[in-house]
Amino acid sequence: MRKLERLALISLTEQERQEFMRDLARILDFFNKIDELNLEGVEPMFHPLSTGKLRPDRPNQPLSRDEALSNVPKKKDGYIIGPSTIGG
Amino acid sequence: MILEMVNDLRNGNLSPDEYVGRTFERIKRVEDRVKAFVTIRREEDVLEEVKRAVKEGRRLSGLLIAVKDNISTKGIRTTCSSKMLENYVPPYDATVILKLRKEGAVILGKTNMDEFAMGSTTETSYFGPTRNPWDLSRTPGGSSGGSGSALAAGYVSVALGSDTGGSIRTPASFTSTYGLKPSYGTVSRYGLVAYANSLEQIGPMARNSADLALLFSIIAGSDQRDATTIDYSPPSSINPIAVKGIKVGVLKDVMDASDPGVAGVVKDFLNKMSSEGAVVEETNLGMVDYVLPTYYIIAMSEASSNLARYDGVRYGYSSNAEGNWKDVYSRNRGEGFGKEVKRRILLGSFILSAGYYEQFYIRALKTRRLIRDSLEKLFSRYDILVSPTSPILPPRIGEVIDDPVKMYAMDVATVTANLAAIPGLSIPAGFYNGLPVGVQLMGRYLSDTFLMGVSLYMENITGLKDITAPL
Repeated sequence: MRKLERLALISLTEQERQEFMRDLARILDFFNKIDELNLEGVEPMFHPLSTGKLRPDRPNQPLSRDEALSNVPKKKDGYIIGPSTIGG
Repeated sequence: MILEMVNDLRNGNLSPDEYVGRTFERIKRVEDRVKAFVTIRREEDVLEEVKRAVKEGRRLSGLLIAVKDNISTKGIRTTCSSKMLENYVPPYDATVILKLRKEGAVILGKTNMDEFAMGSTTETSYFGPTRNPWDLSRTPGGSSGGSGSALAAGYVSVALGSDTGGSIRTPASFTSTYGLKPSYGTVSRYGLVAYANSLEQIGPMARNSADLALLFSIIAGSDQRDATTIDYSPPSSINPIAVKGIKVGVLKDVMDASDPGVAGVVKDFLNKMSSEGAVVEETNLGMVDYVLPTYYIIAMSEASSNLARYDGVRYGYSSNAEGNWKDVYSRNRGEGFGKEVKRRILLGSFILSAGYYEQFYIRALKTRRLIRDSLEKLFSRYDILVSPTSPILPPRIGEVIDDPVKMYAMDVATVTANLAAIPGLSIPAGFYNGLPVGVQLMGRYLSDTFLMGVSLYMENITGLKDITAPL
C-alpha cells in the first residue's frame, strides 16, 4: 500500500490505508474475472477510433500570462512558486 | 419545447423578467431539498444576459441551461464537485459552451456530480449528495445527477452531462428524463475535465426527445481542439421514426440481472413496441460477466494517468505542506481528493505498474475488442438493442455508497456503449412503486439521430415527456 501511495503521489491516513487495503483486494478479485477468457491472438483495443486528425501546426491565440496563471495558489511576479525539486 | 419558449421570448409572449423570475422562484422553493446545483449564478446577472440574448435573435436566444460542473465555463467556477477544484475558475470555455453561447443560450448554473464523475449516485460529491425529485430519500443516479434533478425539478428544459460509463443515462433513467451518450467522437471533449478519455463524451439531457436532438445538433461536430472528433453534423430537428418492422434485440442476460420490478416495466415498454409493429426478439449481450471488470480496469487506468495533473501547485487545492515536491504533491492530493477518487487512482496506479500491466490492463483492452466485436455481430441482426438502463431502482442515499463493487454493478447495462463507442439513449419507460424506470436503446455507431427518432415516436405512446416531479 505504501508503494502505491508513492507511485500515485497520494498520502493516506492510517485509517484510509486499512480501508483501501480491504477495498482493493475485493475489487482486484472482481477484476480477476477476465482471467477466464481465452484472449490469444486478440489485439488490444487502445482506442475506439483508429484515426485521429491533427490541426495544422500554426499557433492559435494563447491565453495571456495573467489568465493562464489566474488559478495558481502561490505566485510572484508572473512566476509559480513551487516546492523544492532537488533532493526529492 | 425549447423552440416554442425561445419563440415566445423573441416575440414578447414571455418576458425575460417573467422567465428568469419564475425559474429562480422555483429554485428558491425546492432547491434546498434537491441540491442539484454546486453553483447558481446571481439572478440579476442571468436576467441581464437573457435580455441581451433575446435581442440578438439566435436559435436558442435567452434559453437557460444547466451545465455539469466538469465542463469548463469561463468566469464561472468549475469544481468537478471536488475539494481539489473548489475555487477553480476556468479562464476559457469548453467548445460545447462556446457553441451554446454562440446560439444565445444562457448558463443558469453548474450542476452537482460525483467527484470527478467517479460514481453512479452523485453521492461522492465533496458538496454532499443531490436528491431525486421523485423521492427525496433517494439518489438521482450519477454521475450527472445534478443535471438530471435540475430537469426533473423543472428548473430547466435542457442540461449538459458527461458519460464515461453511464453517467448521463443512469440519472436520466432515475429522474424520468431523456439522456444521450453520443457516439464517440461526435462531440468535442475540449474543456471537459478528463477522467477516462477513451470512454467519455459530453452529451445532452432534456425533458423530451425533440429538445434532446436540438441540443445534440448544436454541441456536435468536429473541433480542431479535440483530435478525436469526427466530421459529423446531425440534423437540428428530427421526425418520429415508426417502429413498424424495426428489429429489436432484447438483452436477456441484462434483463435477468435486473430487479423484477425494473424488468417488468421494460417488458411493458417492449410490448408497446411490439404492438406498434416492431419485431422484438430475445438475445444475449454474451459478455455480460466481463463488461464491468473490463470497463473499470480501463477507466481506473486512464483516471490514474489523467489525474496526475493535480499537484496543487499550478492550480487546485494547496495544503500548505512543507518539504520536497513529492511530499507536497502527496499531501495536496491526499487532502484534496475524496475517497472514491483516491481509490480509483490507487487502483489505476497498481494496474499500470510493472508486473500487473499485462495481467490487467492489456487483457482488459483485448476484452474490450471482443465486446465490440460481439456487439457488431448483434447489430448485423438487430437495429436496436434494448435493456433497462439501470438494473435497479434509484437507491436510497447511503444504500450502495459504502460498497464499491455494489455501486459498480449498477453500470452493467451502460458501460458497453462506452467500451464500443456506440450511442446509448435512456428514455422514460414508466414507473414502479412511484419510482422512474428508464429503458436504454443502443444502436450502431453514428445512429444517434435514428435512436432519437425512435424515442420521439415512443414518447408519444408512453406519454412520458415534459413531466415534472411533484415537489
